[in-house]
Amino acid sequence: MANGATMCLAVSLSPEAAPSHPPDAGPDFSLLTRFVQEAEAAGLDMVLLGDSAPVAGGPNRQMRFEATTLVAALATVTSRIGLVAAASTVAHQPYNLARRFASLDIISHGRAGWNASMFPDPREAANFSRPEGFSGDDFRLRAEEFIGIVQGLWKGWDADALLFDKSGGRFFDPEKMHLLDHKGEYFSVRGPLNVARSPQDTPVLVMSGLSEPDTDIAARTADVVLLDEASIEPAKAGDLKRRALAFGRSPEALKVLMNVTVSAEITAAPDLFADGLEECFRSKACDGFNIAMPFTSALDDFVGLVLPELRRRGLDRSGYSAATLRAHLGLAGEDRQ
Amino acid sequence: MSAGRGQMKLGAFLWATGHHIAAWRHPQAHVTAGIDIDHYVQLARTAEAAKFDMIFCEDAAGVREANVDIASQTSRSIGFEPISLLAALAVQTERIGLVSTASTSYNEPYGLARTFLSLDHLSGGRAGWNLVTSASQIEAANFGSTGLRPHADRYERAREFAAVVTGLWRGQGGHEGRSFSVRDPLDLPRSPQGAPVMVQAGASDEGRDLAARTADVVFTAAQTFEEAKAFYDDLKGRLAPHGREPEDVKIMPGVAPVVAASEAEARARHDELQELIPDDVGVALLSSYLSISDLARYPIDGPLPELPASEGMQSRQALVIEQSRRDKLSIRQLARHFAGARGHWRVVGTPAQIADQLEARFEGGAADGFNVMPSYFPGELEAFATLVVPELQRRGLFRKDYEGSTLRDHLGLKTPA
Repeated sequence: MANGATMCLAVSLSPEAAPSHPPDAGPDFSLLTRFVQEAEAAGLDMVLLGDSAPVAGGPNRQMRFEATTLVAALATVTSRIGLVAAASTVAHQPYNLARRFASLDIISHGRAGWNASMFPDPREAANFSRPEGFSGDDFRLRAEEFIGIVQGLWKGWDADALLFDKSGGRFFDPEKMHLLDHKGEYFSVRGPLNVARSPQDTPVLVMSGLSEPDTDIAARTADVVLLDEASIEPAKAGDLKRRALAFGRSPEALKVLMNVTVSAEITAAPDLFADGLEECFRSKACDGFNIAMPFTSALDDFVGLVLPELRRRGLDRSGYSAATLRAHLGLAGEDRQ
Repeated sequence: MSAGRGQMKLGAFLWATGHHIAAWRHPQAHVTAGIDIDHYVQLARTAEAAKFDMIFCEDAAGVREANVDIASQTSRSIGFEPISLLAALAVQTERIGLVSTASTSYNEPYGLARTFLSLDHLSGGRAGWNLVTSASQIEAANFGSTGLRPHADRYERAREFAAVVTGLWRGQGGHEGRSFSVRDPLDLPRSPQGAPVMVQAGASDEGRDLAARTADVVFTAAQTFEEAKAFYDDLKGRLAPHGREPEDVKIMPGVAPVVAASEAEARARHDELQELIPDDVGVALLSSYLSISDLARYPIDGPLPELPASEGMQSRQALVIEQSRRDKLSIRQLARHFAGARGHWRVVGTPAQIADQLEARFEGGAADGFNVMPSYFPGELEAFATLVVPELQRRGLFRKDYEGSTLRDHLGLKTPA
């Protein structure tokens, strides 16, 4: 046992990692449902759903669904697993994005998360009336302000704001609704959100595509950070947690997950694959992993071969002990001060 | 007789606890509707079992009422964001159409086209977009510091927005315009129904012109047969210059029913709801629809004052003012009357009485169908589905089963090229 701690485990479908099946359109809803239900049956923390908006056309990259609408639909056919949708700060306005995810969180009974990518894609800007694109600093400062607005809007209603008092004629307590009144460099948002408080306090904020200057933003605001395999260095996770501490947060309030892609060799040597995960986890290079599946059936191998090995080693909690994504990840009660 | 006009279209307009402003206080209203997805799944299945053409969801990108004290006496400050709501309902239903409102002022066409196309794929071709330009200052304050755009500017942006969206749904990309630029086609496959259905609600001259160019369905408010008929004839008359036939656009006015087995029972339920409206809430709602903020300073038992033209909802304002003059209503009376049905046509009575009134407007060429706005949920929707729908079916005025699988099939619309 690693001090009694178990890994956070997420899976994601990465159709771009391999030729798609079939090549004309991505997996249909029933195939995606089976994929997510299998991950849920295995007790995994969350499924990350990508959004292909940034990329134009290419037949191997085509998807059938936009990620937030897909999460809403998947929420109705699952009951425990977390569902995280990618959504771009270029493609959305912060008020609309905050509403969409707050609503997803109520639909899923507290299982929703937003994956905010810090990687600016010029192709996306070109489709959203920004043909000139953004400079790196501009994109970063704008994204930082955007994330702050979204997290602020998510807290606009206190958890006990709704009274539902029919005879007294008071639906909510006016003292427990809060305007945001944000006026910043890029956005001006009055609030409040017109969606109730999340069952898990706020939807989980996942951040990905970080470059060095984004580290402070992630340390201050993210619940989960996804790091690429190539950047494995124990210093990275430790650095993020030290910075989180400096921002007045518990290091446990920020989970660092390493992106790992399942390869074909997994069937031949699942114990070697488990060794790699264990070594990385025990060296405190990460709190867990986001296992990217190049196609839906790769999950069979991970769940059937690797997961039992991780369980045998005491590295994976068996099944769910709580209802919300925040609780699955060990984030409940870890709110920033 | 239905021989000449075929069958009417019906939408189930879902809105939180109900369309009546005091619905949430009704003993049988489901008061936690705005945070209960299972409630919406049940409503959708009720509407689908009754063979409604579609579910219709309103939307605003902000709370409805700026005065927090007034807002806290209504249920309308919180609810589901409708696109995520309909995406959830898409996989919990099989046949019914799913229409959500979304604003051209606070979205980008590429993102909106892509999101509705995704909803269309999730539902197997049952999605529709109700285009609005958004007329409230509260919404504007969530999207910048420059305030509400003037009416004409909003419609200029909406025309360009609609053209880009319909182009993207037809596989086109590449647009450089005054408000928007889009480089690529959408990265999702084509719609199972050719393109999602376009719905529109604005009834001003610019709103009608935009509807004549692009809408498949027009949602409108009309109190009297004459108003409904005048709107219907005007809009259908605007289609030919755009190369469109009268049947290419379905006009579906709102109707706010209160139905019960006996007329006395229906009237009693309507009175019960009216009694639950606090005066300050009724006046505030009337103020917001008239786009003025200070109606409360006029004597509540006096007449409506003269009002300046506004940048808000011009057509709706004219409707309310006309009604107050026609019926010589005080502010209190108008507020109560208006709050109940939000300016839409209210029908109170037995299934036969309500079917008679719907039949008269349908057969009289004042409507192709109706967007049904139940006073409270789930009871009033269930009453309409189990009492009025069978009466309409018996008269041959409404389908007994779905003829096709897509929303375009239900509405009898052509598949776009």
